[in-house]
Amino acid sequence: MKLLKEKKNELYEVNKEFLAETLNASALLHEALSSFTNDKLKKESLKGVIQAEKKCDELKDKFTEVLFRDKRALPFLVEDRFKILMMIDTVNDKMEFFSRFLEVYPFKLYKEIKDEFKILYSACSQAVEELVNCAILIETDFDGAYKKTFEIEEKKREARTAKFNLLGKLYKMKDDPTKVYLTSKLVTYMYDIVSWVEETSDFLRGLIIKYPSK
Amino acid sequence: MALEYILIVFLIISVIISFGIGANDETMAPLYGSRILKMKQILILAAIFAIAGAVLLGEGVAKSVGDKILLLDYESSGINQNAVVMTILISTAIVLILSSAFGLPISSTHATIGGIIGLGLLLGNGGGVNWSTILEMSIWWLASPIVGFTVTYGVVKLLNKHKLKTLKGFKAFEKSENRYSYIILIIICITAFSRAGNDSSNSVGIVVGVGGDIDIIWLLIITGLGLAIGIIVLGRIVIKNLSQMTDLRPSTAFAVQVPTAAVMLIGTFQSIPLSGSHLLVASLVGLSKANNTPMRKGLGKIIAIWLLTFPIAALLSIVLYFPIDLLL
Repeated sequence: MKLLKEKKNELYEVNKEFLAETLNASALLHEALSSFTNDKLKKESLKGVIQAEKKCDELKDKFTEVLFRDKRALPFLVEDRFKILMMIDTVNDKMEFFSRFLEVYPFKLYKEIKDEFKILYSACSQAVEELVNCAILIETDFDGAYKKTFEIEEKKREARTAKFNLLGKLYKMKDDPTKVYLTSKLVTYMYDIVSWVEETSDFLRGLIIKYPSK
Repeated sequence: MALEYILIVFLIISVIISFGIGANDETMAPLYGSRILKMKQILILAAIFAIAGAVLLGEGVAKSVGDKILLLDYESSGINQNAVVMTILISTAIVLILSSAFGLPISSTHATIGGIIGLGLLLGNGGGVNWSTILEMSIWWLASPIVGFTVTYGVVKLLNKHKLKTLKGFKAFEKSENRYSYIILIIICITAFSRAGNDSSNSVGIVVGVGGDIDIIWLLIITGLGLAIGIIVLGRIVIKNLSQMTDLRPSTAFAVQVPTAAVMLIGTFQSIPLSGSHLLVASLVGLSKANNTPMRKGLGKIIAIWLLTFPIAALLSIVLYFPIDLLL
């Protein structure tokens, strides 16, 4: 019994650390994008995102090890927790990928799209923040977590509108096609993060509906 | 044949019968389905309780086979009663072993009565079977699955309405399910223990009936071992098959097992021949319906084997009677 309790505490601690690191990556990405919009890209922030993703990978391995160490009475809960972790880890992977892309992006951002771009990256960081909160709440408060999923959906809608506004503007530009193409990729990759966050929150919502009536 | 040799033959047959009964013991299925324990742990536990139940409870529950159903006048017709009893038990064991090999739980009572009907028809010239008792029993056989389904359906609905809705997060859910896993573990261990005591009587009875100087403790240990080996060799297939019929977790395993055990207990007190296997399968269907979770493949096969148990056991007893009669 004592061992089981220790395992649970270890699991919660690792999970907490993993989510905190995800939040940290999101804040660093926001910082980098903010500087990028002001034409002074802070490459250290991007490196921070990459570092945070690496740390998340280590924590993910540790979490998985603790989670499956003693797979007993509730395998579906173990599986669901594992899936949540993997989905949030994909958010980290997408943020890391975006950071690496931005690191090698050779242009400055078009002035005409800066406002829409701000809306997109704000929605992105807010969505990640809400997802982390949702993942914390699902442990103790299904109702609170359920509400969060709708807030994430709202952020995705904002991001989607911003994305198509941005692409609309970009496709009308008569400029260097490479810059237009790479900027559109920048927008698409950022939207991918929000889109995946929303997919993860949909999964969480499904679990919240499933558990009390299972 | 010398008494010692007869005893050895009966002892071997007794072990085969125990093996057959153990092979079709599905008591531990909810423990495996809800993954409270792993198969290895379940088999160890089942073996311990089979031996303990046989040794501690087996002596006091010796049963007579087919008293009320078989209407044969042994004295005037010269029918060998030992051969009749032996044939019924061996045909029962064969049916149990065969169905277990396919992972299908059946009622050992049905198999026994199938064998009795077969011999009653063979030896009684049409009048060897008490059909009114069979008819009376068949009402309960039909009622068993209905009772199992209804009670579990009701318990699951009540649990969902009052208990699960109050669980507000994974942690609370986990805590609640952990509590259920301890309760269900205790209930199933008690059921396995008492069932082993009850089941061992069938195989112990035939050896005791031979007479002679028998060490009853050793006989009960051997019977218990037969049950345990049956569970380990073939019972695992039945346990696995049954536990995979629908989604189970500790609280739903509780909802399945507790009504089954309670109804069986009432049936025992009221001398109603309910089938534990039928109750359990019907309870699993009730759980599946109450939770709107799909039933996996296999239910059709189980129902088919339930219907076929009587004719197969009857045919087997008819085929086996004469060679056994010659031997004894």
